[in-house]
Amino acid sequence: MAASQDSLVDRLRAEFAAVADQLPNTTVRDSRSAAVERLAAAGLPTNRDENWRYANLRALSRSRFAPIATHQPIAAPDLPAALDGFERYVFVDGQFAAGLSATPSGNVGPGIAANSPTDMDTPAAREARFALISDAFAVDGLCVHITAADSAATGASIRRIEVLFVATADATIGSSYPRLSVRLEANTRVHLIERHVSVGAAASMVNSVIDVSLDRDARLDHVRLQQLGARTTLVDTLDARLASNTHYQLHCIAYGAAAARSTLRVALQGDRSRVELTSGCLASGTQTLDTYAVVDHAAPGATTRELFRGIASGRSRIAFNGKMVVRQNARDADSVQMLKGLLAGSEAEIDIRPQLEIYTDAVKAAHGATTGKLDDAMLFYLLSRGIERDIAQSLLKWAFIEDALLGIRPEALRRQLERELSRQFQDIAALDGLLGDVK
Amino acid sequence: MSALLEVKDLVVTVGPRKILNGLSLSIDAGSVHAIMGPNGSGKSTLGYALAGRPGYEITGGSVLYRGEDLLALPAEERARAGLFLGFQYPVEIPGVNNVYLLKAAINAARKAKGLPEVDAFEFLQLVRAKMKLMQMDEAFLSRGVNEGFSGGEKKRNEILQMLVLEPTLAVLDETDSGLDIDALKVVARGVNTLRSEHRAVLLITHYQRLLDHIVPDHVHVLARGRIVKSGDRSLALELERRGYDWVLEAA
Ligand SMILES: Nc1ncnc2c1ncn2[C@@H]1O[C@H](COP(=O)(O)OP(=O)(O)OP(=O)(O)O)[C@@H](O)[C@H]1O
Ligand SMILES: [Mg+2]
Repeated sequence: MAASQDSLVDRLRAEFAAVADQLPNTTVRDSRSAAVERLAAAGLPTNRDENWRYANLRALSRSRFAPIATHQPIAAPDLPAALDGFERYVFVDGQFAAGLSATPSGNVGPGIAANSPTDMDTPAAREARFALISDAFAVDGLCVHITAADSAATGASIRRIEVLFVATADATIGSSYPRLSVRLEANTRVHLIERHVSVGAAASMVNSVIDVSLDRDARLDHVRLQQLGARTTLVDTLDARLASNTHYQLHCIAYGAAAARSTLRVALQGDRSRVELTSGCLASGTQTLDTYAVVDHAAPGATTRELFRGIASGRSRIAFNGKMVVRQNARDADSVQMLKGLLAGSEAEIDIRPQLEIYTDAVKAAHGATTGKLDDAMLFYLLSRGIERDIAQSLLKWAFIEDALLGIRPEALRRQLERELSRQFQDIAALDGLLGDVK
Repeated sequence: MSALLEVKDLVVTVGPRKILNGLSLSIDAGSVHAIMGPNGSGKSTLGYALAGRPGYEITGGSVLYRGEDLLALPAEERARAGLFLGFQYPVEIPGVNNVYLLKAAINAARKAKGLPEVDAFEFLQLVRAKMKLMQMDEAFLSRGVNEGFSGGEKKRNEILQMLVLEPTLAVLDETDSGLDIDALKVVARGVNTLRSEHRAVLLITHYQRLLDHIVPDHVHVLARGRIVKSGDRSLALELERRGYDWVLEAA
């Protein structure tokens, strides 16, 4: 609704004016107000925008945009178990929590990297408009800048980093702005775990902005887990740029939040760059999990492997819009999209759309997209062995989603995740006892 | 004593078609029955109807199992009450490990009996012993259910499940087809170990050969949706020699 969008922008401006002076990071103050102005000019997306049809943005109208000034104290036991060999950085409601973090030195630390102002006229920038709110209000962020010298100094060929973004406060108190900027210089390698969790049951507003830049021959293994509380709203923007011969493994698993929208953009700017995007979404109740992923082949010989698995139960909705652009100079592009949805509730909805925009001939592009229900013959086979219906269904769902989990490393994280996911299925304990024995 | 299974005038409709049309059959505990009959006569339909497969609508007749109305139970409860269907075409379930299925099935049966979940060690020992009996490699445990199994391997897997679940009434739908000569013996041995005075087996088969290894007490011919002839094992031999025409003409 145009009227309410206008009023949102007005409110955003007013809130910014009220807090601008108190915001830390004076270095970016100028770009903060510039961001507000750009947003005022461009407006916020609504469900009438083609790529935002499924996003559930209702919580915006009751959210305060200003950052959360103070938050409830939380303790380490409230957080997921730490992972062996990983540095940990914890942010609570957008503020760095040194006491909860285990942070060695190096070119990793809290701070906000100023984003270079984007030209609002490009379609990519228009899809990333929510990032401007973060540009205006974000308090803390994690900057990961790995140089070749840096990785030589630490002696480790792979830097392992976990960043935990915790939401605790209600949206009426303020928004939480997770920010992460990753820059890998030539030939460096990082294994990054990015988790979004809630502590407590608040209906939080989380607006995250992730920026990834890989110089030639760099490799980033990036696991993103969206495990926010059941009343939280997430708007998420990830932008990645890949130089020559880079390898970006991006693994997104989402099952939290009442409503989550992820806008992902991966630009394959260097020849022979490669992205593997694996995404798994599990929605139940009235959750909405919406992903818009653009992979832009802008150089020769680049490769995309995209796999999506989504299970919608109850009255939930899952959308995955996977757009593949192959520009004229991106000859010998090789892209595969395998997108599958499973409708596990009679009132659930899944919308999966692969989109190809190809401007050159020398391309290998395969894509498959299917949405189906649990297979009746399989279900009957399991029932005929006496297995309870709930468990039979869960086993089948598990089998369906497993493709999206297999590649997650470290193993310890995958197991943690499998345990938590099995709890998402109704039969919790029973399935818990089943899994894990074999592997 | 009343029969373990009492099927009376059963009518089963699949979609618009009546497949079984007044089928009656009585099976006592301790006995082995064989059902033979032409392709498409409704043998698998009988198995599915007994097991409770959706889409196989019971439009007439009754089925008593241990004196109770079997048709009132959903499929999973029939299984827990001791009914087992060995599928003619076992279903492949990629991504669900064989061992998950076995464990879930055992635990469901135990839960129904008020027993705690099976101990992980005992479970593996039990499964290993049964696999040995079926001459199956343990590697099958960690594969997806029937996924990529050969025809014969699938049938062995059905019998493995049966042995693990120890049903009271096993309905084995063409478990012998697709088996090599040695496998046939292995499967027959598996079935024979289960025979007891408390249990019964209903074998659906096209071949007399299986009946050399698992000797039936009764042999029936199913045609046109009902049992048209019953006899002892000599009937199977006669059918093998003469085919079905003479039975159908007489019926
Ligand atoms: N789902 C279905 N839809 C339509 N027809 C069906 C369906 N299931 C069974 N039938 C029909 O019912 C008849 C009996 O099938 P059924 O599988 O019971 O035969 P059968 O005796 O087991 O045959 P075979 O010896 O070949 O295994 C067949 O004509 C079959 O085509
Ligand atoms: Mg059949």
